[in-house]
Amino acid sequence: MFSAQNLISIGIAALLTAGLYAIMSYGLAIIYGVMKVINLSHAGFLMLGAFMTLVYFQWWHLDPVAGAFVNLPVFFVAGWVVYRILVRRVATALPIASLLLLFGLWLVIQNLAVAIWGGEDQSIITSYTYKALTLFGFRIPVTRLIVFAVALAVLSILHFALGHTFIGKALRATVQDPTAGLLVGIDTEQISAMAFGLGTAFAGFAGSLLTLLFSFNPDFGGSFQLKSFTIIVLGGLENLAGVTVGAAVLAFTESYAVLFMRASLQNVIAYALLVVALVVMPGGIGQFLQRRS
Amino acid sequence: MPRARIAVVPALVVGVMLALVPVLAPRNITLINLGFLTFLFVAQGVAWNILGGYAGYVSFGYAAFFGLGAYTTALLWLGGWPPVLTYPVAGVIAAAFSLVVGVPTLRLVGPYFSIATIGVGEAMRILMLNLDRVTGGASGLNLPTSVPSKSWFYLVALLFAAAAIAAAAVIRRSQFGLGLLALRMDLEAAEGLGVPTALFKNLAHIVSAFIVGACGGLYATYLQYVHPDTVFSFTQSISLVLIALIGGIGTVWGPVVGAVVFYAVQDYLQTRYPTFHLLVYGALLIVILLFEPNGLVGLAARLRRPRTPVTPAGARPAGAGAERPA
Repeated sequence: MFSAQNLISIGIAALLTAGLYAIMSYGLAIIYGVMKVINLSHAGFLMLGAFMTLVYFQWWHLDPVAGAFVNLPVFFVAGWVVYRILVRRVATALPIASLLLLFGLWLVIQNLAVAIWGGEDQSIITSYTYKALTLFGFRIPVTRLIVFAVALAVLSILHFALGHTFIGKALRATVQDPTAGLLVGIDTEQISAMAFGLGTAFAGFAGSLLTLLFSFNPDFGGSFQLKSFTIIVLGGLENLAGVTVGAAVLAFTESYAVLFMRASLQNVIAYALLVVALVVMPGGIGQFLQRRS
Repeated sequence: MPRARIAVVPALVVGVMLALVPVLAPRNITLINLGFLTFLFVAQGVAWNILGGYAGYVSFGYAAFFGLGAYTTALLWLGGWPPVLTYPVAGVIAAAFSLVVGVPTLRLVGPYFSIATIGVGEAMRILMLNLDRVTGGASGLNLPTSVPSKSWFYLVALLFAAAAIAAAAVIRRSQFGLGLLALRMDLEAAEGLGVPTALFKNLAHIVSAFIVGACGGLYATYLQYVHPDTVFSFTQSISLVLIALIGGIGTVWGPVVGAVVFYAVQDYLQTRYPTFHLLVYGALLIVILLFEPNGLVGLAARLRRPRTPVTPAGARPAGAGAERPA
């Protein structure tokens, strides 16, 4: 059980999972960073992203990876609209108001999905779903490799865009200091709408990638939402690079914990890590404790 | 507060009238069942509101207390205890567990507390599924069928609801209640004024967990069956949030009104469109937050006094209407 062979193969699996976790949490981090709103509807958009991928797959035989790129603009618009119609109105109220509002949106999305697709588990089987590569004696499922590569590529593109375009710079400036951003002429209202769209787009994108690895149903998403939140808390909430670190911490902890406990308890780990991080981690947390207003 | 004192008399009259229902119509099982479940929701909604409404710490994790209460009662009952004696124990176990959850998480500021509680019920559900030697795991626990009559359950639930309302009303007017309201408005200012905020938050959590735990116990004896998926379900947790929000968060009577409306809507929708009740609640949540954050009680107050300046939606703490319990 604790052989080197086994430990390394778990490590590889954890690394590949970390890519998925990072892209799944990015949307949450962007929205939190710009407007200090915790998007509780993130789980709903993840799930919707998965179902849209199924729709593309059934109608046009579109590969889930291609489906992920179709989802990007579709969900960007959806997020933009949600911000304009709903979030904007409560963004200035108590944080709990936006939390509950987005929670309501999650319930609506989830149960609309039940009405449209029913509650059964769905899955997408492609030609490469069951294939695996063998590298230095380690078997690596092709789907995990694809998900990791795509996640890494998209995150690199996003990183470049945030550093080198005007909108990216404006967005980062707003994350750092909204008031100062406003003073130098950044339309924070536009940036907020943009951030909400971008965050939602990433949720839809991650939802597509999830279909390669897991079966899904309308209830799916809740545990991923908790994981995403754990990741951004671990990573320091406003720190977009920290997301990658948080994703790695969670993925490795979960993977290696299976050596010590029942696999069915794996979902409790994210929760335990979340509480520990929220309560004792001074660095990432100290920031928002001072910032509450 | 003279208005609140006057409300005691009509409340007692309504209570006595409700208590007469099983005497006057002992054969109407539908009505008695409806009453039982409504009272159970009233008691829990009122209990949730003590922490979530007065102190503003919105918890999504109360299913943990409900489920723990249900399991405590179930195990004691299987061990030969009479059901009535198991309810307080169920409450105590839930209250003790509220400390385990509350001491670390209640230090977090508002929304972070809410997020931290989302996983509590789920973690407990998974734990109970895995402790199969004690809890029977995924097959659940079947309880003895030698139960008291439906009318008995109806009356006990009514008693629970009345006790919860009384506790909430007493707390609302006490030093303790004022402290909770103060810390919701401004934590640091309340602390500066000498309110022991950490103690008060945990006390509020304990009181509400006790009531919800006892309700879980009552529900277990009523259903004669406990399963992790039903008593620890997320739906169970969010029902309480919705009840308080629909009725009016932070008021004494808000959750009572909320529970009645909530259960009526649920009963109507679940028989006709089983999957739609959560959709309706989600939509309701959005509409309330956008247009009337003070819930039905707030709406009633606004309709009664149309001249009062209307505050924009969400512009002040939800539950600021607590100044005038309807």
